[in-house]
Amino acid sequence: MSYSISKTRHTPFSARLGQFLRDYYIYLVLILVVVLLSVANLDRFDLFERGNFLNPKNIVNILRVSAPILTLAGAFTLLMVSGHIDLSVGSAMSLAAVVYASLAINGVPFLMAFGLTVVVGVLLGAINGLLVVKLKITPVIATLITLSLYKGVALLMVQDGVSAIKSGGGLKMPGWFNDYGRSGVLLNLPMAFWVAVLVTIALIVVQNKTLLGKHAAAVGGNPTAARLSGVSSNKIVILLYVVVGVSAALAGIARSSFMSLGDPLSGDGMELTAILVVLLGGTAFSGGEGRVLRSFIGALIIMALTVGMLTLVPAYYQTLVVGTVLLIAAASNHLVSRKGSK
Amino acid sequence: MSVQLKAKMAKGLKMSDEAFITLLVVSAAVFIFLFASLLVPNFFQFQNVVNLVTNNWAVISLGVGVTFLLVSGNFDLSVGGIVALSGVLAVWFAQAPGGANALASGFGMPTWMAMLFALFGALAIGGLNALFVVRFKIPSIIVTLGTMLVARGIAQVITHGSQRNTNLPDNFGFLGNIYLFGTSIKLPVVLMLVLVCVAVVIEKRTIFGRLTFWIGANPVAARLSGIKNARHQTHLYLFSAAIAGMVGILLASEFKSGFSSRGMLMEFDALVIALLGGVAIAGGFGSVVGMFFGALILATVTSAATGLVLSPDWQYILKAIAVFLAIVAQTWALTLKNR
Repeated sequence: MSYSISKTRHTPFSARLGQFLRDYYIYLVLILVVVLLSVANLDRFDLFERGNFLNPKNIVNILRVSAPILTLAGAFTLLMVSGHIDLSVGSAMSLAAVVYASLAINGVPFLMAFGLTVVVGVLLGAINGLLVVKLKITPVIATLITLSLYKGVALLMVQDGVSAIKSGGGLKMPGWFNDYGRSGVLLNLPMAFWVAVLVTIALIVVQNKTLLGKHAAAVGGNPTAARLSGVSSNKIVILLYVVVGVSAALAGIARSSFMSLGDPLSGDGMELTAILVVLLGGTAFSGGEGRVLRSFIGALIIMALTVGMLTLVPAYYQTLVVGTVLLIAAASNHLVSRKGSK
Repeated sequence: MSVQLKAKMAKGLKMSDEAFITLLVVSAAVFIFLFASLLVPNFFQFQNVVNLVTNNWAVISLGVGVTFLLVSGNFDLSVGGIVALSGVLAVWFAQAPGGANALASGFGMPTWMAMLFALFGALAIGGLNALFVVRFKIPSIIVTLGTMLVARGIAQVITHGSQRNTNLPDNFGFLGNIYLFGTSIKLPVVLMLVLVCVAVVIEKRTIFGRLTFWIGANPVAARLSGIKNARHQTHLYLFSAAIAGMVGILLASEFKSGFSSRGMLMEFDALVIALLGGVAIAGGFGSVVGMFFGALILATVTSAATGLVLSPDWQYILKAIAVFLAIVAQTWALTLKNR
């Protein structure tokens, strides 16, 4: 649990600086990344010029592409705070994208397709939760099993010889399909982005103001103590897996709508991105510690970095950069939390 | 029912849990093979058994290193990345300089030297794993996911995201394409079998092998009784990386190309066959023989599915079901045995 050390007048400056850095480093990193990307490509003295990072169109574009991971980051944080992990989020996202696109292309109206896909998300999350809680399979293995399972189902839902669900063969994607992920509704940003913001706000409230948030941290911090003090960890873990499942479904809808496709591979690697942004946000991998908002900022950093980088270096540098950031984040996380516990 | 019978037998013979699970895996592999033979025409052939082993030499080789690490309580998810990296490095080092374009020119080293240096590259990733896991004590699953990305990332940068396959000396393709005694068995398959045999001896008959189990079963107790955990785990990571490097180089030689997507998801397959073979993810439990037969189970299931003309997409679902059943059956059988 992150508790703040009471700051008295006599606290030495270095300690106060350390505390400040621990609390706010994520914002500093975000500012640093934005500043670096803004000046890296600056060929005119107008920061907001077309082709520069801070160009409003570019920002809008990055935020639109980021909607899936922004949706996922908060739920994934809560799950990791409780000491669990979900490696199946990428596959769940792909499956949701395929389900959503199949419903839409077969004439199901928007809200109904949306609702049904969310229900699928609940189901996928519940399967994970039950495997972990009822059958007592280690989270890594349980969700590795469902990673394979959900991916297989998503691939089977797309007929042979076609790579994704899209217009063609007598069926046509409805006109509204793109709107959710692309059309600006507020500040030129689409619904998908605002849903991500709403989900994040809701989860911040859950984490700070409700028992669920406190119990999640208790289960992750010290499972035995949590059980002995009457926290029903089983229910909480299943609930958290369901929340992650729903977020993955929303992420799948966002991705599917943005690409106008039901691509059964569209979520591949999302589990890695999710782990990366959550670690970047300072969540302890072993559980007990982590903030929803910081993971959201972490997701912004990663997306700004990976998308912004495309104008500077060829795309094939991306894997190396992501891997390096993951290692640095894991290492610095660990060093910071060890210092903090001293 | 047969499980119960075996459980009773095991009690009578005072069999260790490990031997019991290994026996269970071996019988499962045989049973699944016979069952598949009933369903799929022409499945019950000696050549088919040979193919199941030879087609999976790469994953089984990787599985040896991964099994030892799992037994010691650590993950290694970096092996797939290392396979790509070492293959790409070997090709890059061996390519003659001054080719037609950036992807066609390399360092012009002799083949043996290129392969040796590529192996060093693989060992560097293994060293990185050890540094972060053993020294900084960061969870191994995170570290090795990171180094997997780094290794594959370097391979992608070197090959510009595709592959290098031109301007290579003729003898580069030698090692991976030696056929033995006029059969379909290639040298890498024999190396894999030798590796498995050596690993079994190390696991069962040497102090090094026993230490691996003790460290995995109870790291604190191991440390307190004077075992050098850190050094031991470092060695394991280096061995695993060396095996992965060797696999990558052999694959590069077999195809005469360094392909940045080679070995994709192999780290998960290596983990899956270890799990199927009864290796416990918590450490301190498992066997190389079990892993080997775990690989055969997976190979039989997927190849039988192909034989039944199921769409290749089914392999993911079958893999999921196989692992699920294996985990549940093993837990259940052990509870039954030790009741």
